[in-house]
Order: sequence, then C-alpha cells, then structure tokens
Amino acid sequence: MSAPPRQQTATTAGVRTSPLVVLVHTITFRQARRFAGSFLPLAALIGIRGGSTTAVLVIGAVAVFSLVTAVLSWWRFSYADGPASVVVTRGLLSRSVRTVPNDRVRGVEIETPALHRVFGLVRVRIDAAAGAMKDDEEELVVDGVTRAEGDRLRVSVLTHRSGPETTGDDGAAGTPIEEEFTRFDNRWLLYAPLVGSYLALPLAVAGALYRAVDDLPDSVLPALPGPDLAHPGAIAIVAGIAVVLLLLGSVVGAALVNWGFRLVRRGGSLIAVRGLVTRRHTELEIDRIRGVTVSAGLGMRLVRAARVNALMTGLGDAGRRGQLLPLGPSSEAWRLARRLVEDPGPLVAHPPAARRRRLGRALFPGLVVTVAGLVALTVGWWELLATGVVLLAAGVPLGLGRYAALGHVTGPRSFAVRSGFLIEEQAILQPRAVVGWRVRQTFFQRRAGLATVVACVGAGGGGYAAVDLGAADVAAFTSAASEPWSEALSPAVP
Amino acid sequence: MSTAPPSTPLPPVRTPAWPLSRSAIGLWVTQGVLAALVPVLGTVVFAFAVPDSAGGPLPVLRWLLPVLAVVYAVVVIGVRPWVRFRVHHWEVTDEAVYTLTGWLTRTWTLVPISRIQTVDVTRSAMQQLFGLATVAVLTASSQGTVHIPHLSADIAQRVADDLARRAERVRDQAT
Repeated sequence: MSAPPRQQTATTAGVRTSPLVVLVHTITFRQARRFAGSFLPLAALIGIRGGSTTAVLVIGAVAVFSLVTAVLSWWRFSYADGPASVVVTRGLLSRSVRTVPNDRVRGVEIETPALHRVFGLVRVRIDAAAGAMKDDEEELVVDGVTRAEGDRLRVSVLTHRSGPETTGDDGAAGTPIEEEFTRFDNRWLLYAPLVGSYLALPLAVAGALYRAVDDLPDSVLPALPGPDLAHPGAIAIVAGIAVVLLLLGSVVGAALVNWGFRLVRRGGSLIAVRGLVTRRHTELEIDRIRGVTVSAGLGMRLVRAARVNALMTGLGDAGRRGQLLPLGPSSEAWRLARRLVEDPGPLVAHPPAARRRRLGRALFPGLVVTVAGLVALTVGWWELLATGVVLLAAGVPLGLGRYAALGHVTGPRSFAVRSGFLIEEQAILQPRAVVGWRVRQTFFQRRAGLATVVACVGAGGGGYAAVDLGAADVAAFTSAASEPWSEALSPAVP
Repeated sequence: MSTAPPSTPLPPVRTPAWPLSRSAIGLWVTQGVLAALVPVLGTVVFAFAVPDSAGGPLPVLRWLLPVLAVVYAVVVIGVRPWVRFRVHHWEVTDEAVYTLTGWLTRTWTLVPISRIQTVDVTRSAMQQLFGLATVAVLTASSQGTVHIPHLSADIAQRVADDLARRAERVRDQAT
C-alpha cells in the first residue's frame, strides 16, 4: 500500500490479495468446484474399482488440484484502488481488466464467512452500478484481504468521490456519529416459520442432501432399513417429525442469516450488519434512497410482521442488499419506513368497480371448472363439480382480500401504492424516483372505467403499480406523484 | 352496450397528438396475412387428413375449425391493422416522450427527456420493406421503456437524434 496514488494506466500492477486466501480456497474448493461435475462420476468409478489405496490417491489428487487452481487464481488476481477508480485484473489465460469509477460505486459490502474469520480475512464486494451488466458482473469481488485492508478499501472507495458533500463526510468519518435505526430482537426469529423464503430454506437443504446421496453409487451406501410405511401410525409420525424439522429449520435458517442484525446511520450512509456464520457488512448511501417497500406475506400478516427494503437507484441484488429490516413486527417496520421516506398519509381505497373486477377474476377459474363439472356430471363424475365449488368458495375471500390490498395515496413529498394478496407490498416513493409512467387499460378495464398505473422506477422491481385505479383519477394521481413533466398526461393540456 | 350514452368511455389520460405513418397499416396487414396462414393451412390439412367416417367430436370440428380460422383471418387482416392505426399515437413534447399503443389493451407510456438513458432505432426486415423504423427510448427502469413503432425511417432517425441530443443536455444526474 504505497501512499502516493498510482498512475491509472492499463498496466497498473495492483496488489494481490492475502496469500492466506489460497488455504481458504483450497479447503472450500472455490476454484476447483466448477470442475466437480466432471470429477464426481470419475471418482466414483475409480472408487468402486480400486481399493482404499486408490481412494486415498484420488482424494490426494483432488486436494492438489484444488491447491493448484487456488494458487493460480490468487497469482493472476490483483486489484488497485486509485483516487478515481478501482481496477480489478483477473483471469487465468484470458485476462480481464475491469475499471469502475468511484462515483459509479453504489455500495460496499464486507462479508466474513466462517473460514475467512479463522484466518482473519474478509471478502469485499463492490457494487458497481451498471444497468446493462449481467447479474454476475454487477459487482467486483475482492476475496481474501485482511480485515484492516478491507476496511481501508471500503473507506477509500466510498470517500474518493467527486462530490462536495461526500468530502465533507471525510471529517465526520474520523469521529463517526452513529445513530441506531434498528436492532434485531431474537424473539422476531419466531416469525420465520410463517415466511415462505425461510420455510423454503430447510427444504432446499433437504433437496441438496438428497441429490448428493443420490449421486453416490449404491455400493458405498449402508443398507438402512426404511421405516415400514405400510403402518398408518408410522406415516403420521414421519410427517410429524418432518413438520417439526421444517419449523426448526426455518428458525435456524433465519437465525443464521439475520443473527445480530443492526442498522445504523453513520454520516451519509446506512450500515447493515448481520449473519451468524458469515458476517455481512453492507453500506448504502442515504442520498440514493428513492423509497422503501414494506411487504408482508399472508402468514406474516396474521402475526403482524413485515419486512422493509430500500429502493435505491442502481443497486444490484436489491432484494438481499437493500434489506433494512429482514423480519420484524410491522410497527417496527413502519417506524423505520417513516424515518426514511415521509409518510404520505392513509391509503385511498379504489372504486367499487375494482372490487367487482378482482372478484370476477378470482371467481373465473372456479366458474370454468364448475361448468365443466356440470357437463362431466352427465358421465357420472362428481369430483370435478366438487372441485369447482371449492374453487368458487375460495375465490370469494381471495377476490375480496386482493381488493382490500389495493390502495394509493399522494402526499406533499411522497406517494404510496399497495397491492398483492399472497405477498402484500406497499411501496412508498419520492416523486423524483419516477422515471416514467405507464397507464394500461384492458378491454374490460375500459368498460369498467378503471386503469392500472405503473410508476416506472430505476430501482427495485423496476415499477410499482396502482392496480385498477378509477380512470378519472389517473391524471390527478400521476401529476401529484411526480415532477411537473407528468402534466403531459392530464387531459386539460391542449 | 351499444345503446349506452357514451359509446366510447373517455380515456384515462390525454391521447398523444401525432398518428403513425400510414405505411404501418400495410405492415400490419402483411403480418396479419402471415399470422393467419398457420391456422388456415392447419384447417386445410385437417379437412383432407381426417376421414369423414370418424366419430366423436370430429364432425363438429369439421365445420367449427374452418369458421374459427376464417374469423381469425378476418380479424387479424381486416380489422386489427385499422384499429391499431386508429389507437396508436405518439408525441414528443418539450419535456417528455409520450406514446399510446395497443388495440384491445391500450398502453400509454410517458418518459421525461431528463431521464432518458439511451435511444435506439431498429429496423426489422419487414419494416425495411415498408420504409419504417422503431424508436426505443430506454430509462433506468426495466419497465420504463418507450417503443414508438413504425415511424417512417427518416422521421425515426430525426426523432432519435433530437431526443439523444436533448437528453444529453438536460440529463438528471440524480438517477
């Protein structure tokens, strides 16, 4: 780390990561992993043919291979942070040099997986906003620098910006004034079984385990006696155990990801820290926050829980990185949301025609099945009719629930739209977030005097919709919710 | 419904001022002919390949399929191009690009020039036959893309150049 800034030339030598990372990567097969697919069948074949000596040899060969690839990729990788940009050079045979100007960097994340922690290393992810990039190219990853170097890199990248207000923060960085926004309460982990994504976590683990076992040749598996599934009690017990494991797994999964979550404000940045095994340290610029979403699934709404995400322009992987509150009571979620974006006020319900439309759409599949069921009754099938009636009955609460979720409101400095039944999401946005309006009217919406208005936003999901707004309210809504250019939509303009 | 007082409900927002090039109708008719070709040929094959004596629902299909194919062909060749031409409008104001597209489902899209990121002009093979081009205006939002389809090629190029130049001047660095 030489003090004078390096010349920004294409041949900048840069700095290598810590050599210790070779050990980490050898153990985790980070580089060798991508060849694993072709190795596994080969290894299995050799493992069957040969005795234990061959097996040891194979394991040794794999370890050496992993070591060699790890050393090669460490040797060929370098990074350099100049005053204006970060340059990362990598690639075994074909070299790739990526230069990211510092003012394009939207955030820096420092990750500490368990093994990295043993060696005192961290992984730095630099979020380089580039709309046209593919997902995996949106960030620069510098894997395996010491903790101090990681912090230095983060500060260097984030403070060497060409902006007057960020250089002002430099002074504050010396004496950081922290303001805590949220601290995770471990009791909130109990919400996890009601959240789809956490429930899916143990299922994914089980699936991966099953596939791994399935890949192994039968000869190496011990012949375990399976449970006697013919017995009805056995099925109940197995199912009960599975449910308990699923619930436990979701809580454990949520704990792994969210343990010790803290959101603090330091200067112009929001910093989120979390994770039990892998610690993550995410830094987001407050200036780039254009809005927040507060969302809650069906199960979460039962216990009044919610999650909060930030909508930031150009943030890659926004679903994970923009999380401001991964899981918590909705009162806490709303307190946090109001702190970041002004509350536009209570939502306005959509016209009764919207309720008719939601109900109609929810009942339609049931209606089709019922009619088909009536036809099928002539051949003696009553099951189809029963299914249709059940679908019809389920459609009523679904339609009403979906209508109840609809709402919009405009305030002096923000606006909000809400929709969704299985996952209800309310987006609260600043007018400057809107980069375009899209108004859609289907044939049936035109007859019913409704229209769907999408606020196009260069952040998060790309657009947030006010579904089935009264057609007469559209122009008033768009002009109140965004900057003067949207007046072009109002019919009054000649 | 035809007796209801307002025969066409008022649109939710203003209609953009300018229509497309009339050549667009020719292009849509050609596309309609191509689209109708598949079901019509399918029906012909069906009529020849299926024997008269076949039972089940086949006798019904023997007249239902040709009727459906003809209706489809009439709609996509004789109706849709003209409805589309009546619906499609576009406009570039001092501050924004504004389009209306669709025929049954209508979509109005408004993008301010200050948020434009790139402007593309594309000419598909068929568009070149009719001397047309599409202008695509892209923003930071994946949903905030404006396509102005089927402008005559020289107008499209002029619009794109003009938009790109103005976007450069007033670009809002905040996004």
